[in-house]
Parts: sequence; C-alpha cells; structure tokens
Amino acid sequence: MRIEKCYFCSGPVYPGHGMMFVRNDCKVFRFCKSKCHKNFKKKRNPRKTRWTKAFRKAAGKELTVDNSLEFEKRRNIPLKYQRLLWNKTVEAMKKVEEIKQKRQARFIMNRLKKGKQLEKEEAINEVKKNIHLIKAPHAGKAKKLEEKMVEKLQEDIEMGDD
Amino acid sequence: MKKTLTIPHELGYKSVNTCRSELSRTKLRTIVRTSSSAMGKSKQTGNHKSDKKKNIAKTWKTKRRTKDLDQIHCDMKPTNATKLLKQEVDYDITGSAQHYCLHCARYFVDLKAMKEHFRTKVHKKRLKQLREEPYTQAEADRAAGMGSYIPPKTVEVQTQPVEEEMD
Repeated sequence: MRIEKCYFCSGPVYPGHGMMFVRNDCKVFRFCKSKCHKNFKKKRNPRKTRWTKAFRKAAGKELTVDNSLEFEKRRNIPLKYQRLLWNKTVEAMKKVEEIKQKRQARFIMNRLKKGKQLEKEEAINEVKKNIHLIKAPHAGKAKKLEEKMVEKLQEDIEMGDD
Repeated sequence: MKKTLTIPHELGYKSVNTCRSELSRTKLRTIVRTSSSAMGKSKQTGNHKSDKKKNIAKTWKTKRRTKDLDQIHCDMKPTNATKLLKQEVDYDITGSAQHYCLHCARYFVDLKAMKEHFRTKVHKKRLKQLREEPYTQAEADRAAGMGSYIPPKTVEVQTQPVEEEMD
C-alpha cells in the first residue's frame, strides 16, 4: 500500500480516498479531492493555479532546490524486513523531516525580508516626494522674519530709551 | 432585510467593516482588491451568443473529453505527426479527415477554413500553451517534496506547414 501524490495539488492520496482517472491511453491520474478532479476536467494548468504546490514551487514561493528534499523517493525495490534497519530508517526520517521543516521556514522568512525592505524604501520615497504636505515650502521663513523684526524693534526701543 | 435580499454581498462587506476603524477599512479594501486581482478575472469571453457554451458543465464531462496538452505533445513527434496530417479518407469525420490542425486537435471542412483557423486567437493561444513542456505526475511528486524542482523546458512550436496545391 502506498500514499500516492495528487496529480493536481501534490497532496497525499491515502488508500480509499480521492479518485483515479484512467485516460483512454492508459495514463493514470490520481486526485486527492473532487476539487482537484474538477480543475483537471476544466483543463487548468497546475503550474498556473495559485493554490497548488506546483505553482508555489514554480513561482519561487517555497524551497525548491535542497538536499533535504532528496530523501523521499519512490523506491520500487522490495526490501527484506530487518529490525535494525527499520529502526534506523524511522529515526532518520524524523531527523530529515525536522531539518527540512527548519530550512523551509528559513527560506520563507528570508523571502519575506525583501518585501519589508522594499516597503521601507517606498515609504521613504513617498515622504520625500510629498514633503510639501507635511511641511509647507515657506513655513519657517515668515516666522523667522517676524522674529528678526521683533528683535530689531526691541533693539530700537532699547536704543531709544538710552 | 430588503437590503440583504437585493445586495447580500454589500451587507456582508459592511458588517466586516463596522467593527473596524476608518483607517483599517481603507487597508482592508486594498487587501480585498489585490487578492481579487491576483486570482485574475474570468477568462471566459464572448459567452453571450455562443450556443456551444450554454451549458459549460456538460463540456467538462469525461465523455466529451478532448485531447490534453501532453497528448498533443506526443502527437507532435515527427512519426506521429506525419500519420495524423496524412490520414486516410474517412467520411465520418469532418472534411473526410483531410484537414487536421495538429496543435488544436481539430478537423476542418476544407483548407480555407483551416487557414482561417491558423490566424485565430484560439490557435495562437494553443501554440503559446504548447511552448512549455507538459505537466506530469513526476512534477507533481517533485512539488510534493520528492526531489528538487526542475524548471520546465521550452519547446519551439510552429503552425504546421500547409501544402499549397489542393487538387
């Protein structure tokens, strides 16, 4: 028994779930849910459909090339049961999964950093462009002149007093 | 209640907004807009007059299934292509199976109709779709984490040459 992968969304297809479509040229397509099957019937391209794994990989949304992705494979060679090997494999699987999760999370966080940086740059640019809305172009000048006048007047008055 | 009946969508929208401040409402609106644009609008065009598209669900039925892109890619191999382009006379098929568009997997009545078809948007769109390597189960497996991602190759696709002499 095998957990197959959905043709459309790459999700797991557990035994007894989803459906299988066999085209008239004997090619087999497995679907995890009716949503995937319907989309296939509509001839949608999984690479262009936003919610599929294929899209996320093709668009660079997720970790695409990594050694941690090379462990899970379809191995068509039957193995004789050995207790030691079994135990070791299970342990290794856990470790690989842990490393994979970490790397994928890190990839996404790094990807999102770029957006934040761009956002910041854009905000600075916007402020620079529209600075006249915050501060009127001649805002300080009149006040300064007034202050100067007041100072002069006071000086004059003082001079007059003397 | 009347409003809900006439514009249920708007009411739902308002109820979302009322609990939020003015500033966040504008933000929400922008989010809604971007998400809708990301999904893309419906690609169905010219559906009003066409009798063929009256019932779209019927066209998606398995018994009406047309050839998939990967099947057409298989057809495009030289050995298969020559067979398909020079078929024997079959009176049951449109145009006695003498005028076949390889890329759209369609038979035409005569050469003129086929040539007209080559200049249409449908045909050009199909050529564009065929330029990318077809999607396979192997790619789905790779996307699911069984192996690293391999970007699809591009294939050069051109409209089949048409022999000029008719008779």
